[in-house]
Amino acid sequence: MRNRGALAIVGAAGIAALVLPLLGSDYAISFSIQLLIFLILAYSWNLIGGYTGYTHFGQVGFFGIGAYVGSLLIFHWGVPWYLAAAMAGFAGAAVAVPLGGAMLRLKGPFFAIGMFGLARVLEAFALGFDSITQGGTGIYLKPLGDLRPLYYVVAAVAAIMVLLTWRLDNSRLGLKLLAIREDESAAESLGIPTTRLKIGTFVASAVAPAAMGALYAVYLGFIDPPTAFAPNIELTTIAMVLLGGMGTVLGPLVGAVALSVVNEVLWANYPQIYLASVGVIILLAVLFTPRGLVNLGIRGGWLPAGRPLFRRLAQRAGQTP
Amino acid sequence: MPITELLLGGILLGGVYALMACGLNLIFGVMRVINFAHGDILAVAALSTVSIVVGFKLPFWVAIVVVPLASAALGVLIYVAILRRIEGAPMIMSLLATYALSTIVVNIAILIWGGGYSGLPGVLGGAVRLFGVNVSISRLVSFACALAISLAVWWILEYTRFGRAVRSVSQAPELAVISGISVERVRVATFALGTAMAGLAGVLVAPAFAIDPQLGSRFIIKAFAVIIVGGMGSYPGAILAALLLGVIEVMGSYLSGAVLGSAYLYLLMLGVLLIRPRGLLGTGIRI
Amino acid sequence: MTEIILTVDDVSKRFAGRVALDSVSIDVARGSVTGVIGPNGSGKSTLFNIIAGTLRPDQGRVSVAGRDITRASAAEICGLGVARTFQISRLFAEMTVLENLVAVARGLDDRAAIALALELLEFLEIAGIAKKWGSELSYGQRKLVEIARALMLQPKIMLLDEPFAGINPRLQNRIVGHLKALCAKGITVFFIDHEMRIVLSECDLVYVLAEGRLIARGDPNSVRNDSKVLEAYF
Repeated sequence: MRNRGALAIVGAAGIAALVLPLLGSDYAISFSIQLLIFLILAYSWNLIGGYTGYTHFGQVGFFGIGAYVGSLLIFHWGVPWYLAAAMAGFAGAAVAVPLGGAMLRLKGPFFAIGMFGLARVLEAFALGFDSITQGGTGIYLKPLGDLRPLYYVVAAVAAIMVLLTWRLDNSRLGLKLLAIREDESAAESLGIPTTRLKIGTFVASAVAPAAMGALYAVYLGFIDPPTAFAPNIELTTIAMVLLGGMGTVLGPLVGAVALSVVNEVLWANYPQIYLASVGVIILLAVLFTPRGLVNLGIRGGWLPAGRPLFRRLAQRAGQTP
Repeated sequence: MPITELLLGGILLGGVYALMACGLNLIFGVMRVINFAHGDILAVAALSTVSIVVGFKLPFWVAIVVVPLASAALGVLIYVAILRRIEGAPMIMSLLATYALSTIVVNIAILIWGGGYSGLPGVLGGAVRLFGVNVSISRLVSFACALAISLAVWWILEYTRFGRAVRSVSQAPELAVISGISVERVRVATFALGTAMAGLAGVLVAPAFAIDPQLGSRFIIKAFAVIIVGGMGSYPGAILAALLLGVIEVMGSYLSGAVLGSAYLYLLMLGVLLIRPRGLLGTGIRI
Repeated sequence: MTEIILTVDDVSKRFAGRVALDSVSIDVARGSVTGVIGPNGSGKSTLFNIIAGTLRPDQGRVSVAGRDITRASAAEICGLGVARTFQISRLFAEMTVLENLVAVARGLDDRAAIALALELLEFLEIAGIAKKWGSELSYGQRKLVEIARALMLQPKIMLLDEPFAGINPRLQNRIVGHLKALCAKGITVFFIDHEMRIVLSECDLVYVLAEGRLIARGDPNSVRNDSKVLEAYF
């Protein structure tokens, strides 16, 4: 019974996503691209923040790195945009490996603040090393005539992220990440390779944002430091995962859709209170629904609790004589 | 390189950082809350000071009295409405809450004062000659006041009953309760005091620097760097680190430009976090 | 004759000038039940944590099956077949009991891991709580799940940190029964505790610590009547 709730959500989203480019207006496609990019950012953050418990405020750093790597590849060497995005994703992962090794030794709030500062420093570098990055002037890219191919690529990546998260949720690896979140030193004492898993997840959480950074630059036709490293992007991503439900499969989806709609309404009608509104949403979520809407749904009974695989296997094992 | 000028400039800047960082440290020590909104309160205080002096045409000393009190009141409000409700929650929740609060405050500031820069050129104008360098009076006064208040609060922590109560709640809240200290009241009072210090820092910053609503987000990361380098929970450490980082920032800006100059601060902070996490004088705080 | 599987050799440890352990040496025989008791502040926990790898001694060595583990990390020690429980249970709160167990399984595929988990829950007679969340369990249930979780590592040596503290005598006896069953399978059981009654009736070998020093060693009867022990405790 409850599985139908989850299937309904995913099904509706899937159908809407497929049909849109054929029927939707340019505005709808544009809005959807932004929504999907945020969805991907939310799912990525969910990996390191929601599952592993290493919440941080620096994901936009990878987004910005990807934006610049992608833009420079396109601008200087005419690399096709989808290839530039893939290479940007790669660059993000490459940076995340040593960065993770260093930063993940920090605990809790130190890690969060450290990453926040890192993003600000990267922004300063982008501004300062203007011989490479064109600094404050920014980089202008030839705008894409038709957004549909971009839409399909982004939609495909989004689907992959959802699928990966679903597989993770139902796996031993997922359980190990949760163990790290719940009690890292106990997990380590019981033999879970915490360092290896943390770094792996951190890198995994950096790839998609970097690729999306590049695609965002392509979508806008322009990139500069405040756009690439906007704290706004960070804030909205975290709000989405928090509101939807950290460490769940559907959480980022629910959060992304809800907040994208709210954003669009706010941005169109009351742009001057946009920041404050997202802040208020995060605050309300922290005070009243820290586990997110999805967990409300689980308690309400119309969504299944996560990680059903083990329950099912256990049931089956219990039945065999 | 004009060493004396840079050194002096850095120390003067450090004074303000010290006041801000001390407030932040105090709050963290007692409540284990990292107040992301601290810098924005400073910014709002600075902007309010400009409004009081330029808009309402009141003397500067009015701002020095009123703004910190108003900040303290704001602190109490924040504590009651938000922080008290998330008392036992994992630290990340208070980080998120103060992060969200920060954006709300910045937005409100932009709505009230607009996004541009303002300042108080007329107040505390002029310069004196110190060690062969021209030093602006506003920066000197701001440094002196900031340092004085930081040291005064340190004195309060070490030698008064209230200070002892604060320290015992910081170090061992369970024991503090047993010795009859009202932990709740200490928390409110500390948060209010910390916020008032941020407010005062804002008032002192107004005549000496150009201010805008985004000032807070620029300052907060520097305040974090100060506390981490000085050692979280160490009050004298914060003061020393503030002066040190002020100098590093000024010298860094001279060498590599303003934008990269502040990047040096962060790199130092990162270095400290990775190599000696308890900072210069910290005592390995229990998270 | 009886093979020594765990050796603590002349270990000392100070904390900020205070002596926690002073030249303590311990032998644990394979397949035996060995207990360390001592009044508060005797250094039991320090000793335990040094063996488990969460603390390093200032002097001395610890070895398991001949391999020196003095400087080894907790994870490495795990790999050598040593598993531990925690005095204040550190179960994973936002996961079910079953997930708590399956999360730590090593070298087994999903099906085998679940089978082992169910088997252990059965062994400890708590099969009914498999679906409960870690945060929902009673104190006694927590203790049992802690033991089950450690057993998931299929260890050769079980280190138990005050397994009998704060639970009623019936549950204590039940746990004793389980531990004896483990011994019968060849697993070595080592624990520290306050509960003299159990230590003195069920252990093969007892060590007594007081103020960081070993004051008695032997089978329960000799320790029970040892004057130094009586002095330390009463």
